[in-house]
Amino acid sequence: MMISFIHSFQSEWLKKQNTLSSWLVIAGAFFTPIIIIIARFINHKQLAVLYEKDGFWNQLWHSSWESMAIFLLPMGVILATSLITQIEYKNNTWKQLHSLPIGFATIFFSKLAVIIVMVMQFFILFNIGIYLSALIPYLFISGVSYPKNPIPYILILKEDIYFFIDCLPIVSLQYLISLQFKNFLIPIGIGFGLWVTSLSVLTWKFGYFIPYTYCIFNFLKDQVTNKAAIPGMNIHYLALGYFAVFTIVSYFLYISKRHKG
Amino acid sequence: MYCLTTTNLSHQFSDNENVLNDINLQVIEGSIYGFLGPNAAGKTTTLKLLLGLLKRQQGEISIFGKPFEGNRVSILKNIGSLIESPSIYGHLTAQENLDLLQKIYQCPKARIQEVLNLVGLPGTGKKKAGQFSLGMKQRLSIAIALLHNPALLILDEPTNGLDPNGMIEIRELLSKLNHEKGITIIISSHLLAEIEKLVTHIGVINKGKMVFQGTLDELRNKQKELLFIAFETNDNDRAIKILSNENIHPKKEGTKLLIPSVSKNEIANIIQQFVHNNIEVYEASPIRNDLEAIFMNLIKN
Repeated sequence: MMISFIHSFQSEWLKKQNTLSSWLVIAGAFFTPIIIIIARFINHKQLAVLYEKDGFWNQLWHSSWESMAIFLLPMGVILATSLITQIEYKNNTWKQLHSLPIGFATIFFSKLAVIIVMVMQFFILFNIGIYLSALIPYLFISGVSYPKNPIPYILILKEDIYFFIDCLPIVSLQYLISLQFKNFLIPIGIGFGLWVTSLSVLTWKFGYFIPYTYCIFNFLKDQVTNKAAIPGMNIHYLALGYFAVFTIVSYFLYISKRHKG
Repeated sequence: MYCLTTTNLSHQFSDNENVLNDINLQVIEGSIYGFLGPNAAGKTTTLKLLLGLLKRQQGEISIFGKPFEGNRVSILKNIGSLIESPSIYGHLTAQENLDLLQKIYQCPKARIQEVLNLVGLPGTGKKKAGQFSLGMKQRLSIAIALLHNPALLILDEPTNGLDPNGMIEIRELLSKLNHEKGITIIISSHLLAEIEKLVTHIGVINKGKMVFQGTLDELRNKQKELLFIAFETNDNDRAIKILSNENIHPKKEGTKLLIPSVSKNEIANIIQQFVHNNIEVYEASPIRNDLEAIFMNLIKN
């Protein structure tokens, strides 16, 4: 079973090469760091002071995650997940895939695993991008010294794990929806609608019921803000719960499909 | 010994739409089984059921002596298939399409080039499969079906989109695979002429029902049963009465009357009687009775 899963995962991984979803991971991960680098080159006169500051890394991390947590990560996950299943619809290959000597569970979970690994890949590349957005101005602009404070690895790792967990409900619900609809616009439209809903319920005390809010809540949690009603409970457990429920429902809907190609 | 059998296989897409009725396929090991029928006869539905692409509702499917249900993965290990239009990843090259299936089948990597050579696609290089012509896509789909050296090939209209030369090449390839490697082949088509030179056995399906199953020779024997003489006269109603007096019961088809095959003398006698009764005879001719006509007759009835 495990060997079959590994072979299926390898096959699914090969399938995504040269697709929009694989480019989206790279482009999405480096988008904000590139904007930051450009901004720093434009405001290069203030960089010497900025790089001397005590909280340099925390500030960089915070400004990098701002657009990411609220917009790019949820939208990127919505797009990438829908695009992965779209590969089969677009190429009319579900029938080929379902005629292979692998179990339906293996197909379902190996595809989901590819999406999750792509999200991990995105996090790694994004962190590299954040580091490069600090390093490149230091290397090319004279008078800028390397930040004196150490990089807060533990904080970054912890927050990355939180953001990763918080986007899992989006992965699983988008996966569920995109497995049900051939038309690519339906999962994208539903995903976009839920993201907009998330933004509009942030100040509502039960806003955390919407599973697409967790990345935003995680970003806003430590800030003095009136933009969101930060839930009192642990949203990461909620995210894991939603992920588990959506995945189970999605699996049963998938295996009970009458037409498999 | 049968490689594949179905017993009373029936299928409905909705409550009122019975697309298959008691299909009993019997595919002998090592044979090339032509599965014939007009469009929408139920060929693709049957083949999809054989591959587990549709959920079985009624009846049994047995492949390699084992029931399909409960043995899906082990059975599919030995089946190569092509259902309807080509099923390939357009953003990948031919080699990459086969690479990702090689991971599943775990067959030797060298097999990829072998099958590409076999189907006449040895040098497509970095060209994406999406840029292939329909014929090339069809060849690649056949290469995919052959990649793991299957014991049974299920091909749904595999020569669709191929030019006449391509059709001949694919037929020769399938014939060679059958003779040299003993691969059992089920090939569906709506044209008898397309596969009659290839197949050893034939199953004819029409409106979801099997109307014939047997060898090509058995189908040819139907010629005798189906031979008719057609008469065209200026007064068919009176002609029917005259024929009835002779204990011949004609069938009306358009402006013609069809009677079962009779001797030349009897034909002459019938014409004389018509003329004697002032009926003008415009035509008296045997109905075309080649395999295609038999096939057409089977699916018309």
